[in-house]
Amino acid sequence: MLIAASLFFYAWGEPAYVLLMFISIIINYCIGSFLDKDTTGKRRRKLLLAISLVLNLGCLAYYKYFGMLIGTIAAIGGGNLNTAAPALPIGISFYTFQALSYVIDVYRGKIKPQKSLILFALYISMFPQLVAGPIVNYADIESQLAERHTTLRKFSTGLRCFLCGLAKKVLLANNIGPLWSEVKAMPGTEISVLMAWGGIIAFTLQIYFDFSGYSDMAIGLGKMFGFHFKENFKYPYISQSISEFWRRWHISLGTWFKEYVYIPLGGNREGKWKLIRNILIVWLLTGLWHGASWNFVLWGLYFGILIVLERMFLQKRMKRWPKAIRLTYSLLLIVIGWVFFEFSSLTDALSYLGILLGARGNVLIDAQTIAKLEPYTVLYLVCIIAATPWPKKLALSLKRVPCNLYKIAANAYYCALIFFSTAYMVGSTYNPFIYFRF
Amino acid sequence: MRIIRKTTSAALQSILRVIPFIFMLTMLILHLILPDKTFSEDEMRYLTQWPAFRVERILDGNYKTKVETYFSDQFPFRIFWVHIKKGCNRSANFA
Repeated sequence: MLIAASLFFYAWGEPAYVLLMFISIIINYCIGSFLDKDTTGKRRRKLLLAISLVLNLGCLAYYKYFGMLIGTIAAIGGGNLNTAAPALPIGISFYTFQALSYVIDVYRGKIKPQKSLILFALYISMFPQLVAGPIVNYADIESQLAERHTTLRKFSTGLRCFLCGLAKKVLLANNIGPLWSEVKAMPGTEISVLMAWGGIIAFTLQIYFDFSGYSDMAIGLGKMFGFHFKENFKYPYISQSISEFWRRWHISLGTWFKEYVYIPLGGNREGKWKLIRNILIVWLLTGLWHGASWNFVLWGLYFGILIVLERMFLQKRMKRWPKAIRLTYSLLLIVIGWVFFEFSSLTDALSYLGILLGARGNVLIDAQTIAKLEPYTVLYLVCIIAATPWPKKLALSLKRVPCNLYKIAANAYYCALIFFSTAYMVGSTYNPFIYFRF
Repeated sequence: MRIIRKTTSAALQSILRVIPFIFMLTMLILHLILPDKTFSEDEMRYLTQWPAFRVERILDGNYKTKVETYFSDQFPFRIFWVHIKKGCNRSANFA
């Protein structure tokens, strides 16, 4: 039932590539079964693992990175290669990583291969998280695939999680997003310094609410059907360091890279230089995963270098900094990171960065800035508060008040969320998720 | 007596918790019951109708887009929702 719904959902979004997902499911299922430790010899298992890695990553590389490759070759060679890059199948980055985690864990003997093809297909194609994560490890939901217990209580808890995600996306991300599009489209000479900051902060908030809203919806939907997925975001913008930011941002991806790249490379156990190398490799790949373009590689390396610096020199000193300084330091570097993330050309990114730092002689503030930013005041405030754990803390303190105040308030709150989300969804035209392209 | 009161309040609470879901279902049912409109006078444009089924349209994604605009164009009490949105924006001094 759920598998049928999942395949329908995928076919709905991406009719041309259902077959590709089918093939991926069948190949990984077969390899998983052959990899069973008890029946197959060591050399054979290694060979099978290699085949699976080549096929999965090859497929991802072809669909996601082929265009980037020919673009780069053309740029270096100066010629024009007349090859069209294939369209990117939705969710391929997510389901390829899920399939890989399954095959590698079977190879390591951490899990038993799934016997039922249907249940394996369900794991790969589960519709709540297929499109934009989180990346679910097979080991985490192995038992839930075959047997789930759904209660009305769990269903409504999942529903609430889903509503939070929907509201983050529809009420916050979709409304603050247009401000950034406007600022980004302005010619560099006309942007005042304050406007530049207002714009990139709007993007900072938009990408968080968009992506974490989508994750919340997926986690909530999963819970409504009896699955338990792990959290994917944990208030990333209250981080006290860049390393902490990456433990709070897109947690499932970070865990994946840690488990299947960082630790196999030796992690931090093989000396200083190997540690630096491993960190840089992981963040280069993290960047590349986010999109097939050099600016994402740069964005990844930027964070890799910052994390190396933190681990080598800053960590001890930062402990002595006041909390506010640590927070400012992290937020500043994160916001600057989004500049590299957003501009696909390095020159544009650097020139925007120049405006932010006031190095390009733009005016600090002008009438246009005030006219543009002022209507967003309330929205900025709501977004900033919603990005902190304060609302949750407030809710928890309400729980301690007697006479059912918490229950009444919570019910009213979620009814209001669906009411206003509906109004904003119907009131605007159809709006796709920006994380679709990753 | 006390036990009964406790169970009724628990039952009431579990119903209250799924109200948003009931709301979504109601909207879907209303959408199916209410007749489709063809023209919106406020916007001076024709509203999207249920698209005809064709295989090539499904494959190029055209069908999907049509169905999605159909649902947003024919949403129950669409004008009411648009007004709510406008009112909210105005009270937040936004746009």
